[in-house]
Amino acid sequence: MTNNPEYFKAERDQEWRVALRSQIKNKERTSRERVKMPEQDPNIRNKNSLEVNLGLTEEQAVSEAQRCIDCPNPTCITGCPVGINIPKFIKYIEARDFLSAAKTLKETNSLPAVCGRVCPQEVQCEAQCFYTQKLKKPAVAIGHLERFAADFERNSGKISIPEIAERNNIKVAVIGSGPGGLAAAGDLVKMGYSVTVFEALHEIGGVLKYGIPEFRLPNDIVDVEINNLRKMGVEFITNFVVGKTSSFEDLKAKGYVAFFTASGAGLPRFMNIPGENYVGIFSSNEYLTRVNLMGAAKADYDTPVLFGKNVAVIGGGNTAMDSVRTAKRLGAERAMIVYRRSLDEMPARIEEIHHAQEEGIEFMNLNSPVEYFADESGRVNRMRLQKMELGEPDSSGRRRPVPLTSSEYDVDVDMVVVSVGVSPNPLIPSAVDGLNITKWGTIHVNPDNMQSNISDLFAGGDIVRGGATVILAMGDGRNAAAGIHAYIQQTLVN
Amino acid sequence: MIDLSTKYIGLHLKNPIIAASSGLTANIENIKKLESNGVAAIVLKSIFEEEILQQEKDLKNEVQKDSLIYSELSETLDYIDIHIKEDTLNVYLELIRKAKKETLIPIIASINCVTNYEWTDFAKKIESAGADALELNIFLNPVDTSDKDFEKTYIEITKNVTKKVSIPVSVKISQYHTKPAHVIQKLSETGATGIVLFNRFYTPDINLEKLELTQANHFSNENEYLNVLRWIALMSKKINCDLAASTGIHSAETIIKQILAGASAVQIASVLYSKGIDYVSVLLKELENWMEKHNYNYLNQIKGKLSQEKIQDPAAFERMQFMRYFSGIE
Repeated sequence: MTNNPEYFKAERDQEWRVALRSQIKNKERTSRERVKMPEQDPNIRNKNSLEVNLGLTEEQAVSEAQRCIDCPNPTCITGCPVGINIPKFIKYIEARDFLSAAKTLKETNSLPAVCGRVCPQEVQCEAQCFYTQKLKKPAVAIGHLERFAADFERNSGKISIPEIAERNNIKVAVIGSGPGGLAAAGDLVKMGYSVTVFEALHEIGGVLKYGIPEFRLPNDIVDVEINNLRKMGVEFITNFVVGKTSSFEDLKAKGYVAFFTASGAGLPRFMNIPGENYVGIFSSNEYLTRVNLMGAAKADYDTPVLFGKNVAVIGGGNTAMDSVRTAKRLGAERAMIVYRRSLDEMPARIEEIHHAQEEGIEFMNLNSPVEYFADESGRVNRMRLQKMELGEPDSSGRRRPVPLTSSEYDVDVDMVVVSVGVSPNPLIPSAVDGLNITKWGTIHVNPDNMQSNISDLFAGGDIVRGGATVILAMGDGRNAAAGIHAYIQQTLVN
Repeated sequence: MIDLSTKYIGLHLKNPIIAASSGLTANIENIKKLESNGVAAIVLKSIFEEEILQQEKDLKNEVQKDSLIYSELSETLDYIDIHIKEDTLNVYLELIRKAKKETLIPIIASINCVTNYEWTDFAKKIESAGADALELNIFLNPVDTSDKDFEKTYIEITKNVTKKVSIPVSVKISQYHTKPAHVIQKLSETGATGIVLFNRFYTPDINLEKLELTQANHFSNENEYLNVLRWIALMSKKINCDLAASTGIHSAETIIKQILAGASAVQIASVLYSKGIDYVSVLLKELENWMEKHNYNYLNQIKGKLSQEKIQDPAAFERMQFMRYFSGIE
């Protein structure tokens, strides 16, 4: 990814962009309202698994693209972990050259349709937009436009495949097929390497498939992106656990000279309160994986997931929102978020909270479970909540939840999903002798090139960050690909 | 044959010497060494609530400095306080299990808490891990200027914990109370099976050359037992639970004095640091020698012999008598 201002300036000075800028005055551009993403009706969508956001029409996309003033100093790019040339792709949309817009996205982002749907743009590119920073107005809807361009290309049937360098027959292994792994694989294959992605599960996509529900990110969108990588020459091997099925040494013996580990943070954490082992209490990882990846909500499934009528989801992050909205779609009459801080402190994206509220999710803020109870068969039937208040801010500036004494009360539940965080997958860290691990169990790497202390092992995504976003994992994948390339060139080729 | 055995909080102890909670009781090697030198029970190093809160603060600071660790939307970091507590507790539970597996003497777990939030649940886990008893080291900072009712917090924590577990629960308290007698009395009525008098705090001093604060005595000295002795003698016959003396117990003579005042056991730490773990066997020998010399066969024969109720001048342990004594000095 290039962050070269000269490059961006040269691109901006191209004739077509100069002409486009002169067509509409900035005053007019900035006076327009931000486009609103069309959505399914809340009372309909909360009973189906179809995508909530319907995507912009061509007219909406062009109109929104016209809001972008094509800044001489495009600060939005600094907020993008993969350095997309944002003004360029938006101006292509304004010029109605949607395929070029998609091609621009793919210069630095191998999964634009995914990122357009799940990236927290409001804290990344859109937070750095001129509108947000200077005008104090809603940012240009960069995420919506990204999705529009990627969807247009896919629906057009004219999907562009990036240029691939001549094959050099040097083998590189990518461990994990989530966003970090896919991004690294895409870049490495473009550079001419023979890339194999090893995936432990039976499906490619990692958290994009097992973690994010269909109503936010349809699996077929992910599949299209994966197929593009296949067409580019990436080999995928499923049901293969590196460190168990084969060791690193086995893979080295088969000719792999460098490894990128993006094995994620799939180990769920619990609160360790009494009764947490009762039947009907899941981690969000298990619940979402069974529904999203295994099809356990289907009637003919051999080991179906439980369908709760009164479902409580503990936590306030995006995974909690995904879980509670899934439970609602699977028939919960009462689907509750139980979160110990207030709505303002929730780590979930504002859009997800808003969607959940519209869909009838009950928000029980300033509450925390202290105990679960079960019926004779061991199935959870009640939870005890304690009310909280917000105390003094902690070192990070967030107000600490403080329990209110004698405030406990009981709520009937028949299913609970615990979504209070994850730990890094311990498999790779424990499979490599001498690998430098942080005290949080993540792999310690050089942030410039994602190289670990084992020179041929690079890592990125949640296994390094402890739980990040799709786009940050992808940024790591791209950084690591560049790092692996430099490593191979220095140590093997020269 | 001198029988030094005693009963403390329902535990049968082969002698009255308990290794107090300290850095020496934090690892299995020292625990085994303490047992082989004769201590009758061990209070494991406390799991400190304040330490956990500090760890949480440190982690958050570290996360903010680390460009790679992602914190903005992380659910894990949102609940990091709970996860740190869980991790710390798991390490502690493992120490309990190991100590129980590798020793034969009673193992008393210890919680140093400043709030009454989650400690009741932790107490249950400590019981499940096999601890023979639990000591609550409740520390509420006496320099707090709010009108918070500290005594009430002591009682609430004790009540909540004793309700949850069936193992004996003792409470180690500070001497900073408006009415220590009332607090001791209330705790004994709340369900505590033992009270440890008193815990010892960090004491600052001033370095006159460098004009900076320094730590005063790291360890107790041998005269610090006197205030403990007084309260053991005053309260031992007034309450329905056991008392253990702690702070300033450096010699066999002091142990005997505390037992005479009514203590069921004593807790030692500083002397183990200053004279070594093997000094326990010296203390035990001297204890036996004193008993033999004074024709006592059982520790119970001397227990409480000089408590306030048993002596001819009960006011000797009280403040009035203390005042009269000093008013006579010109």
